[in-house]
Amino acid sequence: MADNNSRTFEDLNVGDPLGPVQLFVSRDQARKYARACGLDFPRFTDDEAARKEGLPGMILPGNMSLGILTKLVTDWLGSGGGLLTRIGTTYRQPVQPDLTLTLQGFITHTQPADRTAEIDVWLENADAERLVIGTATVHFPAR
Amino acid sequence: MSTILDLHSHSEASEDSRAPVEAYLNWIKLKRHERPLDGIVLTEHRQFNRNADYRALEDKYGMLVLRASEIETDYGHMLVFGVNDDITRRFDFADVRLPAQQVIDEVAAMGGLVVPCHPGRPNVGLCEHYEKRPALDNVVAVEILNGGSRKGENERSAALVAKFGYRATGGSDSHMVSLIGVCATRFEAEVGTIEELVRELKTGEYEAVDFRPRPSPIARAIPVEAK
Amino acid sequence: MAVEYDPAIIGKVFDVTDPVPVTAAAVRDYCEALGETNPLFTDEQAARKGPHGRLCAPPSFAVTFRNGRHFYQHVPRFGRSGFDAGKDVEFIHPIFIGDQITLSSHVKEIYEKTGRSGSMVFVVIRSTLGNQLGETIAHIDHRFMHR
Repeated sequence: MADNNSRTFEDLNVGDPLGPVQLFVSRDQARKYARACGLDFPRFTDDEAARKEGLPGMILPGNMSLGILTKLVTDWLGSGGGLLTRIGTTYRQPVQPDLTLTLQGFITHTQPADRTAEIDVWLENADAERLVIGTATVHFPAR
Repeated sequence: MSTILDLHSHSEASEDSRAPVEAYLNWIKLKRHERPLDGIVLTEHRQFNRNADYRALEDKYGMLVLRASEIETDYGHMLVFGVNDDITRRFDFADVRLPAQQVIDEVAAMGGLVVPCHPGRPNVGLCEHYEKRPALDNVVAVEILNGGSRKGENERSAALVAKFGYRATGGSDSHMVSLIGVCATRFEAEVGTIEELVRELKTGEYEAVDFRPRPSPIARAIPVEAK
Repeated sequence: MAVEYDPAIIGKVFDVTDPVPVTAAAVRDYCEALGETNPLFTDEQAARKGPHGRLCAPPSFAVTFRNGRHFYQHVPRFGRSGFDAGKDVEFIHPIFIGDQITLSSHVKEIYEKTGRSGSMVFVVIRSTLGNQLGETIAHIDHRFMHR
């Protein structure tokens, strides 16, 4: 059985969970991400400006949600040699800062022939609504 | 002998799903104790997969895989069961503004059945359209329980069912493997084909069933600190 | 909302962006902004013992590269506002500090659907990232929702 830092393909089972991990992304953190990525548009930095665009308030850039879910997978992979080869995300609802988010995932499929696994990942709010959903593919090169 | 089917699911054939059909069936097998399904109905967006053949998977997993469609109409989204060549020749499923009353009536005449889905959802559910326009005729059943619904949407669907006396189905609306079967429909009769499904939806006994997991509380949030 | 556009735009690659250097500061800022602490992306010494033998950017750093304004002059717009609806990223090669990244993009697909937000048009843009060695770094499908 792998420890948290050295997951191998042989350790994987369909149904294994990733997380759940809870996150609190502050307004400042969201703005910092937007600036770091050249995305400092009003909808990502200012509540009033975001509401003028029909949003409930300032929102996290979609790329930030993708980054957070990518991190969920790479943290889970650890240093066992597994690589993230693909991630796909769908932004179903705006993700607002200053709210507790939960990240989760499950291994849904493994392919022993090419040593890959598919993972459902998502980010949900306190009402268990999935704001961002996605799937990831990981690959474990043969040693 | 009852049959439990997830009547609303999307495989990788739908542009916003990445779920292979086999992965769905394997997941149901794994989660059988939580979601005792006998099969699924694939309701792909704006298309009908005429040539898809899931018999090998059905045999491998001992589960039913039926094909249907989710279309978009002037009264919102609707599931079409019993799709045949006559229906697909008559209606272009890629059209996002199909005339709902015509579709309901003509699909029924051609041997199928249209079931409005997620009626409580804004813009694409019946409830909102009924607020502004006359109710549709000849609606037999609506989807009272949808696994992708947000807070309040299934409740609005339930109110619609109570008001109009519609029969009621359940489906996961899953676009990802781990959500298959969270909501489903339990039929009193055995259902083994799409024809039997259409017959039972029209005249049989059935109810929506809810297999959604209850969220478990998590002790501690990890703050993402700005440095 | 009318979905009218010149079909010739589908698949047409307009041009390639100027190379963007990957600096240690940019990667560090990105990691801090995301709360990324994985030593493969943040600790040079630890990264030397990792699969790539040196520090690399987190995989999601790939989506921070963007097309120039000139690209969007060619991309049809619909409705009054646009939103990022999601992405599909295929990671092929890591991004290392010192790399020079270019982006080549085209409109892959345009389609209409209805949802909670009403009538929407989705424009899918496929971008391919490359480095100074001619290696493909990633393929990214960006889905933009217009309403």
